[in-house]
Amino acid sequence: MNVLIFPRLHVPKISQRLDRNILHGGKDIMLIAGTLPEGKMPLTIGEVSLTDTLLAAGGRTFGCTQGTGTMITAALTVTGYFGLKPPHVIVAGDMGDGKGTKEIYQHLPELIDKIKPRVLVLHYCLPVMAFLKRLCTSVRNLPDKPFMIADAGAMYAAKAAGLASDFDIFTPDPSEMAFLADPLATHPAYVSKHLFSGNIEEVPAQIAAAFMNKAAAKLLLVKGKIDHIAVSGKVLAIINSPDIPHLEPIGGTGDTITGLVSALIYAGLDPAHAAIIAAKTNRTAGLFALPTPATTAVQIIEQFPLVLGQYWQEWTSNQLIATLTAR
Amino acid sequence: MKFRKEKEEFNEGGIVLFKEVSHAIRGEKVVRGKGYEVKLVAPPPELRMGCDLALEINLVEQAGIERLLKNTKTPYVKVVPVKKETSELLEIVLITDFGEWIMAKAGNMKLTFAKESRRIVNISGGGCPDIPYLHAQLVGKTLAEAPRPRELGYTLCAMMLDRAFVRCLNI
Repeated sequence: MNVLIFPRLHVPKISQRLDRNILHGGKDIMLIAGTLPEGKMPLTIGEVSLTDTLLAAGGRTFGCTQGTGTMITAALTVTGYFGLKPPHVIVAGDMGDGKGTKEIYQHLPELIDKIKPRVLVLHYCLPVMAFLKRLCTSVRNLPDKPFMIADAGAMYAAKAAGLASDFDIFTPDPSEMAFLADPLATHPAYVSKHLFSGNIEEVPAQIAAAFMNKAAAKLLLVKGKIDHIAVSGKVLAIINSPDIPHLEPIGGTGDTITGLVSALIYAGLDPAHAAIIAAKTNRTAGLFALPTPATTAVQIIEQFPLVLGQYWQEWTSNQLIATLTAR
Repeated sequence: MKFRKEKEEFNEGGIVLFKEVSHAIRGEKVVRGKGYEVKLVAPPPELRMGCDLALEINLVEQAGIERLLKNTKTPYVKVVPVKKETSELLEIVLITDFGEWIMAKAGNMKLTFAKESRRIVNISGGGCPDIPYLHAQLVGKTLAEAPRPRELGYTLCAMMLDRAFVRCLNI
């Protein structure tokens, strides 16, 4: 049985409920950056909270049902469950014209330097390679580099700009995995036809190809009908149960996995463990929600506390890792 | 005629080809006037379509830029990736039957509708900022009454969603 240990993380394994004191004092921060589908929303920075159906940060409220809002809600649900400090966010309205993206990425390097997040999550944005280049250059110069996670537009831009290896985790779906594997594609819309087969058996080869082409983060959590967790181009674990086909058409079920794995990293799990438990939590929450293709991602997130309460102890035992990584 | 300095980096992957220099200059003015980052360049010889001037763009913004050029009646030939060997825009649309629902998948985008009511019940995939907005505009509407994603979106994700949408119209 192999569980990969990432040397930069020296945090203890956590049990059912976390003792806040075992973390790094009051300055321990997870920062999430992403755009919101609210065109008039100005740049907003602050610690996030959830009230009824709205998220709140920096004196403003915004929706939790789509995109980065969904991912933030997933992460916040997990940090809340474990009694951790809520995430900080830097968000702005952007309907696709890039204005909000530009504001976020203009302010992000300075914000990172100021609050020194331990975990940085980059999510929905207009994929502009120049923005990612400037951000990664400034992050590389920091004495304590944050743990870097990217999904959605930020992942597209990181790959296109040749910056994938600056990141610790990417969370692509199968079509995005094909994009990472195609050395010429700068967006999933331009993936070579032969890579876009939808055939899940091809994912391990695509993972290897992406790593060879330096288009993969250190760990890939490929979310799909079968979830693959890979490190340095090699599949470490696969998760295929429970199998809930109706999760695929539901918008946001990929964002919930990104929120889950980010919060579990922040909670102190090693990356491979966090990725495995994120995948299992998302599937099991899907099972509990009894979804149809019309179900919303928020209805899946609502099941997270129940799932974690029932399965956390079992899933954090070495037995789970041994079962999933046995060859 | 104004050009960006050669040493300024841009290279966001896409290029708009024109037949005439005047069209390229007008295109640059129109697109830059709407706040897009663009750069007039000499097109690679193998992509030349009539004139020695092309407009380098962020390829991801293809949908919004093409709509802008059409709406302002600015003639252009086409938008292509800068790297010659890049594949064409994905044409394949995969269909999954979920019993009461149908899901169409084009590239990284999926659209699902209920067979009986033909109402859009979900949109998933993508990573560009217009997708959550398009989700809010389309979900709950029938395929007949929903707007075309390409009319509202700005990005390649929106173009892929539009392909899925059009396929659903024909089911």
